Amino acid sequence: MNMDTNYTLHKYLNGEATADEIEKLKSSPEYASYIKIAEATSDFEAPPFNAEMNFELINSKRIIQKEVKRIQPLSAFLRIAAVLAVVLIGYLYVSSLDTTISTQIAEKESFLLPDTSEVILNANSEIVYNKKSWKGDRSLTLDGEAYFKVTKGSSFSVKTAQGVVTVLGTQFNVFSRDSKFSVNCFEGLVSVSFNDTLVKLPAGNIIKIENGSLVVHTPSNSLAPTWITDESHFENDTFHVVLKELERQYPITITAKNVDVNRRFTGSFTHNDLNVALKSVCDPLGLQYTITDGEVNIYAKNQ
Amino acid sequence: MKDTENVCKENIFNQVYRDNGKAIWRFIYYKCGDSAQADDLVQEAFIKLWQNCAKVPLEKAKSFLYTVANNTFLNEVAHKKVVLKHAQLQPNKVDSQSPEFLLEEKQYLKKIEIAIANLTEAQRTAFLMNRIDGKKYREIAEILDISVKAVEKRMSQALAALRKEIENI
Repeated sequence: MNMDTNYTLHKYLNGEATADEIEKLKSSPEYASYIKIAEATSDFEAPPFNAEMNFELINSKRIIQKEVKRIQPLSAFLRIAAVLAVVLIGYLYVSSLDTTISTQIAEKESFLLPDTSEVILNANSEIVYNKKSWKGDRSLTLDGEAYFKVTKGSSFSVKTAQGVVTVLGTQFNVFSRDSKFSVNCFEGLVSVSFNDTLVKLPAGNIIKIENGSLVVHTPSNSLAPTWITDESHFENDTFHVVLKELERQYPITITAKNVDVNRRFTGSFTHNDLNVALKSVCDPLGLQYTITDGEVNIYAKNQ
Repeated sequence: MKDTENVCKENIFNQVYRDNGKAIWRFIYYKCGDSAQADDLVQEAFIKLWQNCAKVPLEKAKSFLYTVANNTFLNEVAHKKVVLKHAQLQPNKVDSQSPEFLLEEKQYLKKIEIAIANLTEAQRTAFLMNRIDGKKYREIAEILDISVKAVEKRMSQALAALRKEIENI
């Protein structure tokens, strides 16, 4: 009898007992106490876990020093063998390191991945991938914006701080800066995962995610992103986003006092002429600008 | 055997932290009841994981972290008194009860708090992982590296000890 009751008690503690079984347990004063205690304690709370603080401390501590090994006295032969081993290991180590491709302000870069997939990197962006392991694992990390033309093959992933884009063979654009994450699929099918969500994005669609939540998922009829032909295009984006992209494509800093940077802007600007670019951005919003030595000041017309 | 998901890759390591950081922190907290100590030990566990990232396959990362956290804990000298705080009473519960009942309930919860602190570390850890974290016996057994039967035993002992102390039997 006691064996049975104990068995049921453990079922209850595992959340697997039926209402009937629980009632039966409660008929014994001993087990009724246990249930009361168990219920009360399940409402207890541990203090909150400060994930960010601990993560930062972990990062700062693990980057600090590697240990310095003491050099043992060796015979000449062993010494030479050791040097050769270090050189060989050094070579293997270096050739297994990741490849980083990054662009500065006003710079674009176009390159091929080991499987001849094409990547075009927009200004102020960075991609990290590993040449050696590319064959078995086509995954890279992106910070910024890039356009991909992926050759058919095994799964190809682009990892960003806000989410992951996975494809098999297709053409798509990924934008990942600050808290904005957007993917535009031009050909094929792309799978975008962010937080706990997975979205399948077919060709001719764009998805925009801000601070981890979906903002927009609409059709888009461009065949390729305009920035690869030196023009940045915006569709109902905030003025703030437009100014940030200007600062990426030209070596300038922009001040826009007394201007509402949350106004929406639809239009484009060229990467090849600063004056034309500023005009195309300011005119539609009734703004004017001055340039002095790379410092651009934007203000409303009647000021 | 190609290891494509390697803990030495920063984004994998970060994901392991996101998946396990909180649970490991609470695991240590249940043992010692000290937030600062839990912070120290969880950092230590992840730093050790990074230092050994080449030797620890992704599937073993979780048990590695628990093992390191536990071992570091055992090596530390001070064992402070463990007192855990219970959650605030829900507002709707408060409205419908009489003051006497609320006072009784408060006292009862206080007794439980103290009794939990007096459990053995083995009993307390298993018990709170089941009650607060909602972990089933199977998972607790895996983490503590004991059998499910051993978990049952600790749970029974914990309840018996708590009942004894609360009801003055």
